[in-house]
Amino acid sequence: MTRSILAGLTEFALTALVIGLVILAVLVPLALSQPDPLEVLRLFVLGPFGTIRHMGNILEAATPTMMTGLAATIIFRAGMFNLGVEGSFFLGGLAAAATAVLLPLTGFVATPAAILVGALVGSLACIVPGYLRVRFGASEMVNSLVLNFAFLFAGVYVLNYVLRDPNAGALMSYKLPGDFTLDRLLQGTRLHTGVIIAFVACLLGGIWLYGTRSGLNVRIVGSSPGFASHLGLASSKLLMQAQIAGGLIAGMAGAIEVLGLYSRFSWTGLPGHGWTGITVAILARENPFLVIPAALFLAYLQVGGDMLARNLDVPSEIVGLVTAAIMLAVTAAAIFRHPAFLRLIRDIKGQEQGA
Amino acid sequence: MSNSPHLAEGPIVSFRGVSKTYPNGTVALTDASFDIRRGSIHAICGENGAGKSTLMKILFGLESPSAGQVLIDGAAVDTATPDFAGKHGIGMVHQHFSLVPILTVTENIILGHEPRRSIFIDRSKARRQVVELTQRFDLAVDPDARTDTLSVAAQQKVEILKALSRDTRLLILDEPTAVLSPPEIEELFNRLRDLCAAGMTILFISHKLHEVRALAETVTVLRAGRVVGTTPLAEVDDTTITRMVMGRDVDVPRRQRQRTDAPVVLELDRVSTRSRDPADRIEDISLSIRADEIVGIAGVDGSGQRGLVGVLSGLMHPASGSVRLADADMSRAAAPDWRKAGLAYLPADRYARGGTAALSLADNAIAGTDGDKALQWGPFLRRGAIRKRVQQMIADYAVRAGGTGERLDSLSGGNAQKLIAARELAGSPKLLIADQPTRGVDVAAAALLHGRIDLAARDGAAVLLITADLDELLRLADRVLVLFNGKIVADLQNHAGLTPAALGPYMLGLETAA
Repeated sequence: MTRSILAGLTEFALTALVIGLVILAVLVPLALSQPDPLEVLRLFVLGPFGTIRHMGNILEAATPTMMTGLAATIIFRAGMFNLGVEGSFFLGGLAAAATAVLLPLTGFVATPAAILVGALVGSLACIVPGYLRVRFGASEMVNSLVLNFAFLFAGVYVLNYVLRDPNAGALMSYKLPGDFTLDRLLQGTRLHTGVIIAFVACLLGGIWLYGTRSGLNVRIVGSSPGFASHLGLASSKLLMQAQIAGGLIAGMAGAIEVLGLYSRFSWTGLPGHGWTGITVAILARENPFLVIPAALFLAYLQVGGDMLARNLDVPSEIVGLVTAAIMLAVTAAAIFRHPAFLRLIRDIKGQEQGA
Repeated sequence: MSNSPHLAEGPIVSFRGVSKTYPNGTVALTDASFDIRRGSIHAICGENGAGKSTLMKILFGLESPSAGQVLIDGAAVDTATPDFAGKHGIGMVHQHFSLVPILTVTENIILGHEPRRSIFIDRSKARRQVVELTQRFDLAVDPDARTDTLSVAAQQKVEILKALSRDTRLLILDEPTAVLSPPEIEELFNRLRDLCAAGMTILFISHKLHEVRALAETVTVLRAGRVVGTTPLAEVDDTTITRMVMGRDVDVPRRQRQRTDAPVVLELDRVSTRSRDPADRIEDISLSIRADEIVGIAGVDGSGQRGLVGVLSGLMHPASGSVRLADADMSRAAAPDWRKAGLAYLPADRYARGGTAALSLADNAIAGTDGDKALQWGPFLRRGAIRKRVQQMIADYAVRAGGTGERLDSLSGGNAQKLIAARELAGSPKLLIADQPTRGVDVAAAALLHGRIDLAARDGAAVLLITADLDELLRLADRVLVLFNGKIVADLQNHAGLTPAALGPYMLGLETAA
């Protein structure tokens, strides 16, 4: 037991070391080009923790990606590389807005109803590619990627011809009625109750994946289809369940984002939180509990970058650069499966047993 | 062919003390020495794992020997150099075809050495070359057909043409008859004899002694990585060769069966499967296994073992015949039905089917126990109960592991197999299939697994043991069935006089006693 904890700690320490080195490698040249290099580092590294408001910004930015990260985690764990999370997020937002604009709901049922509709409609973008794979063996990656754009343009059609407010200046929906909203949690930020839902969802997701029989069976199907068929597990059913669950969560995330932040629906392109969710899932090693820190970490980088862009003469794209470099380093998790590294671990174990 | 100017006399290939030890410590070949005479058909015989394929990989330039020399035309050569085979005129037909199914016959044959006109492939020249090749060697195939539309026999012709397409002087065929029907085999042999008459040297690798005898002049027998002998076939009888292949007669301690009158648990009546792959094909198999009986299946790899296991685990369905387990008809039963009916199964492919390498020991140990009230509270798993249960399994089976949270692939092969056995044998199974239960496992673990298999039988399981390890077979089995070409060719009671050498003639298809 202690040995596996040690191995885990080693892996964590190595990851942290790599991230630190990458941040330094990207930030130091940038800082040196500024009149006050230390200020750049301070703002980026410590800035996001400077005030309650900035910390609220981190939580706000992490809310959608925690949920899409959880959705991607569940889908990947079942062994599918289904990228429908992005499409589900978009559709979920659209469907929640449509519910708010079109249905005469009021009072405390209004918001939950809109989120429910958003989740149901949004899940389509994950279910369709998943079904095509299970039923026909079609590549879920290609299908989900292409369908994301099909759903986007279908959604924009609905926005333009059904929800559009002709009196608004741009392509956007009618105002969402006041009952369709999530309560603000923190003055001065847009942080809303959705963040609580996201936290709880990740915790429940982790309990399901590691603490229940069906979670175990999904992990078995995902990690070894041959073993699953040896055990006689209903592989197709488990695969579809995971796609449906992932789709519902991603759709819900889209609905929460729209109801929590906006007074009108105005997405005419894919919002990108689904893609970030996929990054979060990989960063979290497909563990729902780790999705929370992974999403917070990416949000922290984003807020730090925003602060650089706002206060200094630094292009905001630099954040993208930093994030990309970090992702590259971290997802190169392959290093931990590298034969040389495994040999090292074996040698250490050998010495332990010898002692 | 323009190879007559070569040294006309002397062996075309000589192996001189060739040894091969892989980096992981596996010794595949030890001090192998023999010659291959120019213009002859030379056979290589040996059991699975005897070192045949390593030898061929060295000769084909895919591996380099760790010690010793390979001489071609009397000169020492470094085999592991790029395009070694092409330079020395060596062509090989692999047991598993290496054709690209969506390409045409012509495209497959020229692949890798396409005739060119500047940067383009000269298609008309390529087609002319292929047509000329088919005529020269009298191997008729449509040069424009897509490869995946061809029969297996025709695909093999394409493989042979591909191997011959580069001024080949030495043609290696690895188990070429495994996928062919008898008339196709006859046709292949005739073509090979013609090739030999035209000056080609042919190296023929086979398990099947009657084929070796029908085709070759000389045979080299390998056993456990060593050359047992090289001899002209005219000078030895089948018994001698069989003894050379199977090894010395050593007696092993045998299992003592408690009851011989226990009820029949598993009954197969004239079961056949249909499949293109001979490993999946069984024909007219009838067998019954009683409780407290271990039936061992012997046979060279690919004789239908996989088909038999497939039918008995619900992964394949018989095309005809009936399967009964404890008086219930299982002919159409799927995998979950078999498990519910009391099947325990130790798959040969431990990591792909027996467990999942990426999950923990605990996850692997409790997989498939859905609905076990002691481990589950509603949908939730009881972590404490699971840890206790798995620790108990680890202790009972002497699994060397750090903790229940470790990944399965952190265990050695023997320890992983012990954990898998602990899971499969929990809850007194009615039928146990043990497929190569101790392959790649250390001696201590093998002894423990043998004890547990014996114990499962005593507890009332019918056991089907499939193994390439004949010592293990004779140690455990009460009755031995030999599979050859998907049929049971021998049904023998295991008694003190039964030796690996006695099984040899059946395994090599020389005799039947069913």
